[in-house]
Amino acid sequence: GKWKNKERVLIFSSRGINFRTRHLMQDLRTLMPHSKADTKMDRKDQLFVINEVCEMKNCNKCIFFEAKKKQDLYMWLSNTPQGPSAKFLVQNVHTLAELKMTGNCLRGSRPLLSFDPTFDKEPHYALLKELFIQIFSTPQYHPKSQPFVDHVFTFTVTDERIWFRNYQIIEEDASLVEIGPRFVLNLIKIFQGSFGGPTLYENPHYRSPNMHRRLLRLSVAAKFREKQQVKEVQKIKKKGSKVLMEEDPTEVVFETPAEEKPVEIQLVKPESKPIVKDKKKPRKIQRKKQKKLFRTET
Amino acid sequence: QRGLKRCLSEFKRQLAWVERLDVTAGRAADPDSQSAPSKGDVDPENDFQREMSFYRQAQAAVLEALPRLRKLQIPTRRPDDYFAEMAKSDQQMQKIRQKLKSKQEAMERSEKAKQLRAMRKYGKKVQTEILQRRQKEKKNMLNAVKKYQKGLSDKLDFLDEEQASSQGNKKGSANQRIKKGPNAKRRYKNQKFGFGGKKKGSKWNTKESCNDVSSFRSKVAHNKGKAGKGGKKALNKRPGKRTRQKMKNRAR
Repeated sequence: GKWKNKERVLIFSSRGINFRTRHLMQDLRTLMPHSKADTKMDRKDQLFVINEVCEMKNCNKCIFFEAKKKQDLYMWLSNTPQGPSAKFLVQNVHTLAELKMTGNCLRGSRPLLSFDPTFDKEPHYALLKELFIQIFSTPQYHPKSQPFVDHVFTFTVTDERIWFRNYQIIEEDASLVEIGPRFVLNLIKIFQGSFGGPTLYENPHYRSPNMHRRLLRLSVAAKFREKQQVKEVQKIKKKGSKVLMEEDPTEVVFETPAEEKPVEIQLVKPESKPIVKDKKKPRKIQRKKQKKLFRTET
Repeated sequence: QRGLKRCLSEFKRQLAWVERLDVTAGRAADPDSQSAPSKGDVDPENDFQREMSFYRQAQAAVLEALPRLRKLQIPTRRPDDYFAEMAKSDQQMQKIRQKLKSKQEAMERSEKAKQLRAMRKYGKKVQTEILQRRQKEKKNMLNAVKKYQKGLSDKLDFLDEEQASSQGNKKGSANQRIKKGPNAKRRYKNQKFGFGGKKKGSKWNTKESCNDVSSFRSKVAHNKGKAGKGGKKALNKRPGKRTRQKMKNRAR
């Protein structure tokens, strides 16, 4: 057949990405035969430069990975000449090379795309769905594609995020094995233009990673400060003057002083008492070393 | 929101389904009635549940799409003689296979070790039981001998095997039942403590034992054996305890 659907996707990144992102990019290029690669873009250039790069490469879609602070990874999906674009925060990246992903597929085979019913419910999800379809589906009769359909991409909306999985179809009864890669997309904003333009949608549930880290630090600091405050309060309590009870006038009423005995001075030593063995008391076991204190004077 | 919809309508391209191959899936058949049909019940924190929900969604999509593809005559199964480049290299697949195999082997090894430990315990139990049984038999034999010596039973059946003797006893007692005889209490004590008499001292230097030369072998005494000193035990040297155990383990 003839290749009519001329879709080309440019996949590239900015500088400062780590190994996982690089592998993810390579995996996407392997899985999508209608993709093209490009060199790393300098951070100094502004984003609309990307549109020109795309035009030079004759691509009409773009996936751009942006890494900030060597920690956060952002992904832009865009329809380059004038179409909408979306920015996502990427989390939980697992690549093709991980040993737990045991499936395999033909290089360049066309994928089946599976979407969650949630994608039809909200307009912004519908727009994203259309974007995903146009970017990720391999055109029919593309020269580098294989005619078989042997793997499926799933896009699911859970926990306000979009989860991506790739499964290999083994049997006709739909037994699947995961091929990889996997990632989670957290939508930030959708723009009307490509890499710019008015904001069509802003995700209210999105919290930037900076904010997230800041909140964590604040909570830890808050705990510490609370402990200190509690300590201060305790110190003040201890130091504070203790309130003495008032004198109770009725207290004196019951006081009766004891009788005074006459003082006796003993001049003669008293007689020693006779020792009577109390047989009812339990006898202590005599230790050998105990001194014999009592010697009956006979 | 209206802007979104307008944008979508501008952006959307009407492609044939064949080009897009997208499926918006419902749920696949849930064998587990616990997982509710609504999406909100899937706890994203519960990894297993979440992954299972993704898996099921993919399955549903596949089940829906495969018939459509077949109608459009797009092949889904790769014929066995079709060799093409795969997304993961063969080397990678080898690594994966090795990892799986090693995991399985480790599990098997631990299983075997557990079984061996259990077997050893069982073996020890069996051994003690056998030893106890032998001792009991010996005791019974001695008692029977003593009984005969004391003249209580004039049959020498105990020299035959136990089964024969027990059967013989039964037959004998059917004919001449000695209802009297020692008391029940006496009988119980006899059974428990035996018939008395000196147990040890059975290997004294008596006249008979001294004159007994049956254990004299002239060839051994005059050193005219078959192999001589050199190759005596080399032929069938029994390996040591540890070696024997190792051989036993390997054979399992």
